[in-house]
Amino acid sequence: MTPTTIAAGVLLAGGVFFTFVAAVGLLRLPDIYTRAHGASKSDTLGAGLALAAVAVAFGGGLSSLKAGLLLVFMFITNPTAAHAIARAAADQGIDPWTADDHEGGDGE
Amino acid sequence: MADNDLLIPVADSETVRQTVSHAADRAQERDGTPTLHFVCPVSERPANAADSAAAAEAEALLDRVSVWATDDLGDDASRVAIETSLVGLDVYLFNPGDYADVFGAYARENGVTAVVLDPRFNPLGMAPLLPPLERELEAAGLTTELAPVERATRRGPITRSAGLGQFALLFGAAFGFYQLIATELTTVNLITGAITATIVAGVLRRVSTQGSVRPRRLVGRVGRMLVYAPYLLWEIAKANVAIAKVVLHPRLPIDPAVVEFDAAVWSELPATTLANSITLTPGTLTVDVTQRHFTVHSLTADARRDLLAGGLERAVRFVFYGRAAMRSATPSERGETPDGSVDSAGIDSAQSASRTDTNAGDSE
Repeated sequence: MTPTTIAAGVLLAGGVFFTFVAAVGLLRLPDIYTRAHGASKSDTLGAGLALAAVAVAFGGGLSSLKAGLLLVFMFITNPTAAHAIARAAADQGIDPWTADDHEGGDGE
Repeated sequence: MADNDLLIPVADSETVRQTVSHAADRAQERDGTPTLHFVCPVSERPANAADSAAAAEAEALLDRVSVWATDDLGDDASRVAIETSLVGLDVYLFNPGDYADVFGAYARENGVTAVVLDPRFNPLGMAPLLPPLERELEAAGLTTELAPVERATRRGPITRSAGLGQFALLFGAAFGFYQLIATELTTVNLITGAITATIVAGVLRRVSTQGSVRPRRLVGRVGRMLVYAPYLLWEIAKANVAIAKVVLHPRLPIDPAVVEFDAAVWSELPATTLANSITLTPGTLTVDVTQRHFTVHSLTADARRDLLAGGLERAVRFVFYGRAAMRSATPSERGETPDGSVDSAGIDSAQSASRTDTNAGDSE
């Protein structure tokens, strides 16, 4: 167990956690807009942490740089896809779910 | 000949400019010598309507419209006639039927059979005018068409003029990226990279660059972008933790609402960067951007408050316009409030967000 392995392991665990949150969000959230939140954002951080783990595991150098580039592309494409989904939904005239639609949904 | 004519009711709306340019396009498609009839309804009581303030405003609008139309027609301006007229001066316009009657009468007098409607045409104010107006006009035997302006982006040409500077910039970026991916600087890589980069730069320089290349501004923006990236990452991480809490919370305490606001960013690239940053930050999702008007779906009241506190917007302004632009007012200070908050918690935070404009507190 080198420090590198431990660091990569911690990052990977974080990545798994946020990907898990994304999956839970997808199942629990009520409508397309809120699900787009859950699916796209936690996923970005989850995949981002996993890529960071890859970069650490490679121990610097060009391969790590490439992992960093992958991250950049994901940070550009992921919100674009989420935006496309949300806008398509809005164009279809789908009304966003609100707390009113759910009895007893008292906010914090 | 009158078959070629078009009737275009105009009123002051966000999309009137695009409607005019669509009408001009339609006129150019038609043979012969079509006439564009722009009519502006003046809803006023019959007595001395002609010299009222509303009539003066309408006249001014019609003047602008005919200048725009002449502009859009370009070379065809001599072939297409433009008529402008105030209508409804002698009647009291109250409901869609009244408007349809007035436009119908004008159409009959001038032998026009086709109407182009501005989707945002609504001189009545709040009540929806357009669908019933469309029906009434169709019933009166006129063909109607909505000008396609839903996405209120002006149709600019996709290509822009580009010179050596743009070519060099794209070539450099493509070549550098190629070598980075290739890992090794061998002769083969250098040659294939140069060929690839030449093709890329040659094909795309008119599409993917905008304006002239100003090296100092570019370096400044890239440098500030490097400052922005960690800030954005930190915001993303923070917000992700907050959303994870909400999603894993047994009661799922979400309070989604759509917020609309005008962002203080002024061109395509900053607006795109801001929109993507908003979407990346968990809890907020950009649904639509029209010019600088953002429609954002937010998951929680906290996410809304953060959005209108304007941290991201400020950071984007910093990247594109430099340090001085950071100090402009935040959305909440400009009086943008989250609309459509539903439960009491949402309204409370909405009010606290809008209240910050009274003490103008800098959030840092």
